[in-house]
Amino acid sequence: MIANRGEIALRINRACRELGVATVAIFSEADRDSMHVRQADEAFCVGPGPAGRSYLNIPNIISTALVTHCDAVHPGYGFLAENARFAEICGDHGLTFIGPKPSVIALMGDKATAKRILREAGVATTPGSDVLDSIEEAYKAAESIGYPVLLKATAGGGGRGMRVVNEPNDLPRAYAGATAEAEASFKDGRVYVERLIRAPRHVEVQILADEFGGAVHLGERDCSIQKPAHQKIIEETPAPHLSARARTSLHEMALAAARYVGYTNAGTLEFLVLGDDAYFMEMNTRIQVEHPVTEMVYNIDLVKEQIRIASGEPLGYVQGDLVSRGHAIECRINAEDPRNNFAPAAGTITKLVFPGGPGIRVDTAVYAGATIPPYYDSMIAKVVAFGDTRDVAIARMERALRESLIEGVNTTIEICLEILASSEFRRGRYDVEFIPRILRNGEASSVSPSSR
Amino acid sequence: MTHRAYVGIGTNLGDRVANLERALLRLRRLGAIRAQSSLYRTKPWGKLDQPWFLNAVVSLETELSAPALLEEMKKTENELGRRRGERWGPRAIDLDLLLYDDLEMKTPELCLPHPHLRERAFVLTPLAEIDERFAAMRDALDASELAGVALIERESAIAMSLEGSAPLRERLTALARFLAETDAVRVRVERAQDEIELEVRPRRATPADRQAASTPSAAAPRIDTIKADLVGIFHVGRPVPAEGDALEGDRELGYIEALGIRTSVHSMGAGRLVSVATADGSAVEYGQPLFLIARGR
Repeated sequence: MIANRGEIALRINRACRELGVATVAIFSEADRDSMHVRQADEAFCVGPGPAGRSYLNIPNIISTALVTHCDAVHPGYGFLAENARFAEICGDHGLTFIGPKPSVIALMGDKATAKRILREAGVATTPGSDVLDSIEEAYKAAESIGYPVLLKATAGGGGRGMRVVNEPNDLPRAYAGATAEAEASFKDGRVYVERLIRAPRHVEVQILADEFGGAVHLGERDCSIQKPAHQKIIEETPAPHLSARARTSLHEMALAAARYVGYTNAGTLEFLVLGDDAYFMEMNTRIQVEHPVTEMVYNIDLVKEQIRIASGEPLGYVQGDLVSRGHAIECRINAEDPRNNFAPAAGTITKLVFPGGPGIRVDTAVYAGATIPPYYDSMIAKVVAFGDTRDVAIARMERALRESLIEGVNTTIEICLEILASSEFRRGRYDVEFIPRILRNGEASSVSPSSR
Repeated sequence: MTHRAYVGIGTNLGDRVANLERALLRLRRLGAIRAQSSLYRTKPWGKLDQPWFLNAVVSLETELSAPALLEEMKKTENELGRRRGERWGPRAIDLDLLLYDDLEMKTPELCLPHPHLRERAFVLTPLAEIDERFAAMRDALDASELAGVALIERESAIAMSLEGSAPLRERLTALARFLAETDAVRVRVERAQDEIELEVRPRRATPADRQAASTPSAAAPRIDTIKADLVGIFHVGRPVPAEGDALEGDRELGYIEALGIRTSVHSMGAGRLVSVATADGSAVEYGQPLFLIARGR
């Protein structure tokens, strides 16, 4: 059963098709006309539009899997993908959850604890506190780490429940804001504090591990091009301008971490990188949105690998067998207005032409006439460009984005083109402050290297 | 790019009204239903020992290409003919792609317009009802062919679907109640080899009658649909609520079993049970119609 919607539901359906696995889709009333409902062998409505009553409705989702005699559940990303309780309930009902063990999801889901544990495995982490019990503890922790600090939700993700604290006076407001937001978003208001690393790069390492102790990494992805709420918009692999030493150390830390916690299936370890220093930030215990760039350069189908591993097969290869070739970039095309703080733009797509041609892959679930419901994330498509070199990949991406035509909703195509054209991106010398700088300065073209 | 397709629906097995409802539910996923004919009762073709057919035609606005639509229709036929995995013999539902825009094609898989379109009253009669352009074609058919197809009130169709596990006595009671409340033309109850056919105020269906009958009467009761609000296996309650039953107060009509828990399905107030829309023991999705209940007088 595919417990998700949108492009990732289609992506999983494709992997199942190629493996000869029959599929059951779930959908909300708002998604009745969506592509994943059409493509799956069977489709069951599990609730009304709001995700809390449909895509997060564990009883109805489990019940669907049972009445349709499913063997396994692929959670995709978002929704229930990193919900340890859901993974456990799947197991209780004889369903294979396609992902790591529930205990590992729970461990990694608690960001502060994950850091503490992985420090034991020799992974470098940002100097930070354990989970805070009170604001007094927050003052003490911030003082010992040194301002500026970052308050973060331990259950967090996607930048929610996160606040920058520049000085002690800011702490009360930030503490109240972060805990309230974390409580609202994750039903878990606990926060911790860590050193704020200014303008780092966000680099993450893809790993795959089977149930027999086999584990490999599939290189890294640079995801520093992020919207204000820490949401990624352009990702690429390999990460440009990473020293060989830093790259190797990232890969080794990721593998050590995966082995230390007994990780199985696909996962990603996110690091903040500043110069040659890398600090472990968090681990995502699921397939990620940006997984296609890794697939392009390693010529491997990560979703199929997930299914194979979950069905008890060994990896069948070791690190030395894996070679990456060329360069891949992904641009996320979202239905939103970059000039209006990336406000989501729900609506109906009236015209739609996606790019094609050599080296281009488009993962999407929309079609002309499709309506973007207001309940879910606003991503319309992922355009991925491959090239033997980074320059070729960039040129292809620019060509592909210019070929794209999406009418009816505002999209991030223009801002992606601006970013690709900027000298900062061209030279591969960008960091997580890149988009905030563009937004402050107006046009990307006006961002000169000296503005750093 | 949207296309206009006409789809013929036929069913002569099991609970025909429920089959038809399910087919419509699936067709809605393939596009928007722009027009839907009344229900027609058709004498079986060829082998006369088969039960009668229930036929209708819908006009579907779809994004799918003709072959893709056909494939989806075949999938729907297979799905509906199966009880979640296990085959239950011949298909309970037939879907025919009659027309697709003005497309004319002839391949082994697909022939458009549908080759028997011009010959079959059970296709042309409902088709002409929703699209005037086919009226002349319908009127050109033999009278004997036309006489085999009769427009039936939805409720008569339901009453005629009284089949299945309920004891004959219960079904006859329901039938009697139904007859008291309606001016049905003809009612036929079949069970295995036994069948009863009753004719009440017989009259011949003429094109004029069809016209009159297709406009709903002003006094028609409001029909409420009781829908599933969770996913699970649906069970009709015991004693089995019979179609036509007067429901007093808030009666429990059945339950949905999910994750080992039974959740009751209630009539949500008084009324008359028009139909059980989902077969006992089948898997239901959120929002699936379970019971149709007529409210008021």
